[in-house]
Amino acid sequence: MTVSLADLPKGHEFAETRFKLTPEWVAEYVRAVEDKAIVSLPERSYPPLALAACSFRALLEHASLPEGAIHVGQAINFSLSGDRESELVARARIASRGERQGWVLMGIDLNVASDTGKEIMSGRATITFPLNGEVAG
Amino acid sequence: MRQQTEQVRTFGENDSLPVVTKTITQEKINRYADASGDHNLLHLDPAFAATTQFGGTIAHGMLGLAYVSEMMTTAFGEAWLKGGRLKIRFRGAARPGDTVTASGRVVRVEAGETKCEVECRNQTGDVLVSGDAEVAIR
Repeated sequence: MTVSLADLPKGHEFAETRFKLTPEWVAEYVRAVEDKAIVSLPERSYPPLALAACSFRALLEHASLPEGAIHVGQAINFSLSGDRESELVARARIASRGERQGWVLMGIDLNVASDTGKEIMSGRATITFPLNGEVAG
Repeated sequence: MRQQTEQVRTFGENDSLPVVTKTITQEKINRYADASGDHNLLHLDPAFAATTQFGGTIAHGMLGLAYVSEMMTTAFGEAWLKGGRLKIRFRGAARPGDTVTASGRVVRVEAGETKCEVECRNQTGDVLVSGDAEVAIR
């Protein structure tokens, strides 16, 4: 059973996760977001936010989102090589955590590198969720 | 087999980016949840979502942001993939039935960097996503 993000402190570092952007998963992502632009690019191209989604998916293997969590901000830099077959390494840490008026505001830094160590994505997701798991009404 | 018919024009300051418009459905939200692994009940469970301040299910913020990325890919092609930056805030929620339009404008071109203001709005003009996008043109 995975721990909830709600239970983790500022500074927590998640275990390194290795994953691949398989053609099948990229196709599933492109269908989900209906990206009509990416299909006009060379065949191995993939949307940069597919990488963000896949790495976030890897993060969720280590910690679940609290009920009622809301994504309030996103910063992301990427430099894709186009080689989606290589193994990728995701690292994440809780960079900030604050509590105000019954809500937690949490910043999660996420970096993805190729298996050769070249950073291809970095960013911060900011989420908020009710303190003590109470659903906001 | 992809078409590989990329045609990227050059954008100058104050130029508008090509808009991307999509209609949100619960089926699309479910599909994004499966692809992303984010099965937060706020997106998927109408009964749960009805108890929140949203009063019903909402789309993942990253789904709306994907429309912004599609707009940037349309405008800048592979350059967007090879060197892009996004910094945005999610300001409102897209709900099933909403029509979401991603739009943007070039605000600065200098030293190989093109900086744009980007946003998503729903059919009533509410801002759902706003922020900046930068692309390195090499």
